[in-house]
Amino acid sequence: MGTVYVTQDDAFVGKIDERLHVKFDKKTILDVPLIKIDGVVILGRATISPAAISELLERHIPLTFLTNNGCYLGTLQPEVTKNIFVRKAQWQAIGESAQAIHLVQGFVRGKLKNYRNFLIRRQRENSNLDLSVNVTRLEQAIAPIETTKNINSLRGLEGAGSAAYFACFNQLIRTTEFSFNNRVRRPPTDPVNSLLSFGYSLLRHDIQGAVNIAGFDPYLGYLHCERYGRPSLALDLMEEFRPLIVDAVVLSTLNKQLLTPIDFLTEPLSGAVSLTPEGRKRFLQQYAQKKQSEFKHPVLGRKCSYQEAFELQARLLAKYLMGETEKYPPLVLK
Amino acid sequence: MNVIVSYDISEDKRRTKIHKILKSYGQWVQYSVFECYLTDTQYAKLRSRLNKLIKPESDSILFYFLCACCVGKVERIGGEKIRDDTIFFAECADG
Repeated sequence: MGTVYVTQDDAFVGKIDERLHVKFDKKTILDVPLIKIDGVVILGRATISPAAISELLERHIPLTFLTNNGCYLGTLQPEVTKNIFVRKAQWQAIGESAQAIHLVQGFVRGKLKNYRNFLIRRQRENSNLDLSVNVTRLEQAIAPIETTKNINSLRGLEGAGSAAYFACFNQLIRTTEFSFNNRVRRPPTDPVNSLLSFGYSLLRHDIQGAVNIAGFDPYLGYLHCERYGRPSLALDLMEEFRPLIVDAVVLSTLNKQLLTPIDFLTEPLSGAVSLTPEGRKRFLQQYAQKKQSEFKHPVLGRKCSYQEAFELQARLLAKYLMGETEKYPPLVLK
Repeated sequence: MNVIVSYDISEDKRRTKIHKILKSYGQWVQYSVFECYLTDTQYAKLRSRLNKLIKPESDSILFYFLCACCVGKVERIGGEKIRDDTIFFAECADG
């Protein structure tokens, strides 16, 4: 199963028999069976036929629209599943409930522990690096999580941990062509930030799909507060995956020099930096490879790919909220 | 399951139709030969669609099933490249 990325502007996405058919300039540029597809992402501008839309909805294939630079525009999702019990449990845990606090603790702990393990591993691989200050700061943010029973304070710990992590992100980049000062968003004004933002957009498409499959209402989250049109639960669940997938892919593409400064474009007025079509394709390939790579799931004790892990974590979340399990185990990898 | 579908259809129009259906379920590897990786439901659906179309007196479709350990033993010389199902790009070859 794979994701289709339509990166050609003005392409026409249609349906022939049971296949997704993409045309540009009267030529076929892609023709794949719908049974091989588990997501469609349109980057930029494309026309999509009504028949293709209804077929995608019927087959529960989410369709996401991103701008050319990878900014998230929206998703066309099939009807939320009829599993009302999951959604009921989700709504009952709203606010400062014990369950919500436990989940927020889980999300923050998962994210920060993955940050810490990520740094420790990089340090082990490269003896010139000295990240002990940042690791200590991260550990100081992790330690009080268990005893903090207030969501706003947990958000504070998350912020402190992220700051400690991004403070040394530049040292992880091992080429002289790129550097990173601090996280800049909306719009990202340097190549590294633009890759991070692009990666997080792609991850969000995947997680939102998983959250939907598990039967949740993606707009009600616990760590992220409610805001019109923001899929807070998808963003919550995304936290633990950020370093595991996006940060790892960004660093490996840069360090392997798969992308060089000529792969980036700068918009004159806003200073927004984005990838060229060729660079974007290479980055998407790296991201897809990472998603398909396998590891041993620490809780279930069996092999799975990150793509499967999205759904597994969503289901574990559902089990916890429905009271079937005692705890929500965030995905933490050594 | 992994299925090799091979067909022999006497009439051009019907052959084209069958070819079109099979393209939605697998990859065309040679004239009249498809390789399909399908679940049980998908196979059942494909089979019933083809069944409705053919004329049993003059046409034939054969399904060869490959077990998991045999899939790795397929040897190929030349011909179509096997499609990578993990990611699909829709973009113009020169753009």
